[in-house]
Amino acid sequence: MTTPFSAALGAELTKLRRSLSWSVVVLLPVVVVLAGSFTTVVSGQQLADGWHTLWLRSVVFYGLLPLPLGLGILASLAWRPEHRGGSWNALMSSPVPSLYVVLAKTLVVALLGAVMQLVLLVTVVLTGKLLFGLAGMLPGRYLVITVLLVVAVLPVAGVQSALSMAVRSFATPVAVALVGAGTAAVLLAAELGGVVLVLPWAVTARATQLATGTFGDSGELTAGGAAAVVVAGALLTLLAVALATRYLERRDVHT
Amino acid sequence: MDTVTTTGLTKSYGRQVVVQGLDLRVPEGCVYGFLGPNGSGKSTTMKMLLSLVRPTAGEVLVLGEPMNRSTRRRQLARIGSLIESPPGYGHLTGGENLRLVQRSLGLDEAQVDRAVRSVRLEEQLDKKVAHYSLGMKQRLGIAMALAREPRLLVLDEPTNGLDPAGIEEIRELLRRLAGRGVTVMVSSHLLGEVDKAADVFGILSAGRLLFQGSREQLFAAAVPDLLIDTSDPHRARAVLDDRVAARVDGGSLRIPGIDDQGTARVVADLVGAGAPVYGVRREEQSLEDVFMDLTRGGRL
Repeated sequence: MTTPFSAALGAELTKLRRSLSWSVVVLLPVVVVLAGSFTTVVSGQQLADGWHTLWLRSVVFYGLLPLPLGLGILASLAWRPEHRGGSWNALMSSPVPSLYVVLAKTLVVALLGAVMQLVLLVTVVLTGKLLFGLAGMLPGRYLVITVLLVVAVLPVAGVQSALSMAVRSFATPVAVALVGAGTAAVLLAAELGGVVLVLPWAVTARATQLATGTFGDSGELTAGGAAAVVVAGALLTLLAVALATRYLERRDVHT
Repeated sequence: MDTVTTTGLTKSYGRQVVVQGLDLRVPEGCVYGFLGPNGSGKSTTMKMLLSLVRPTAGEVLVLGEPMNRSTRRRQLARIGSLIESPPGYGHLTGGENLRLVQRSLGLDEAQVDRAVRSVRLEEQLDKKVAHYSLGMKQRLGIAMALAREPRLLVLDEPTNGLDPAGIEEIRELLRRLAGRGVTVMVSSHLLGEVDKAADVFGILSAGRLLFQGSREQLFAAAVPDLLIDTSDPHRARAVLDDRVAARVDGGSLRIPGIDDQGTARVVADLVGAGAPVYGVRREEQSLEDVFMDLTRGGRL
């Protein structure tokens, strides 16, 4: 059944046709994984601890910079058509509620982020099998972490989408993503504990570090660690969506 | 019933007043020609009618209900609009853009088809909007506004970028829509583009409403110049001296802004002074003249 919200979401998905977003979604994780293994492959060495080492090299760095940057770019790409021509006037003179506009855009950015996680997962598996000839399969906990990552991209998708909605510039929100990611990396390195999770970019980065033993992680995938990421992610996403909706409801259209 | 009513509608940015105290009355089922030079506040006014811009003061009633931020999304289901540059996502085709509208407004195929046919865009639907001409984008924008079968259609300069045949088509379309009971408010800085289609006019200059009413009222409101044909216009002018602002215009004496009683007095004076008068007439006026006169002088 089509509800007004599913219709709004469907409309957002249609807008992704012929969008540059898809190349970001595919290229970014592939490049990151391959770059992480490049020197090892070239020098003919093996991975010290098999799948674990491969995951650590590919995904932890990915969560610190390429992922938030990628989400920033995806959000700017998603909002770019709305800043052109008479799109804002059309969007704001349609009966679709502001909340749906914001929510649909956020979910589309998050969806692209989720697809990016899948590409990442597949690339890691293929790299392990084809380039390193690793035995067995990627351990199950990394599949769980991939699912957690799909949730953990939501707060960054929400914040970046809100920024790209409010700011016409393509680059400014992406620059904010860089600063946010950098701040999150510093705070995570300082091992301050759960407080860091007030920063959306830290939630995403933290999720990529689960079960890796890096940045103060225990090295084990614990329910508490996973729950912290999910709860912080959900709260920050709600906050971002609420603020963006309020902004959209109040502001005048400028063209 | 009036479809749109505004009371004291005002918008200012800081000290700059863009629209001042508008009391608009747009009757149901009419084509309302909203005229004024560029920068006179037409777009801002139309944006306030759609609640795209919040008024600094005053109120808007659309279809009998207040139009503001808490009511707008409900109201907008019955209002089609095209403001400033036409919408349409460049990376999608015209057809895909229309499907977006269809989907997000929950319309059926037939509604979209009718809208497309009424702007004659059937042949162009598979083309990317980025490759459309401005005229085609305008048509697409109008189709997007029409698809929801609105009761009120607000079009801001819809004939921009259209050739004369296209302008004529839009005029016919507006008349047809009004015939079906749709209220159409259409703005233009060129009277000629809407005068044949509109039956009610609102004329805006520097943010103020100079005139609002029917075509007949518009003609009546602007008094055409009086022309007195005389064999010696210079002498006639000397007779009238400073009592009226008369000037010689070819073989005639031209007197602006004079009413019927004044005319009778002037003729009596001239005849009494022995000036040979052989014709007294009002100058033929086009709607264009009236419009220019109103907007240039800012009077009425």
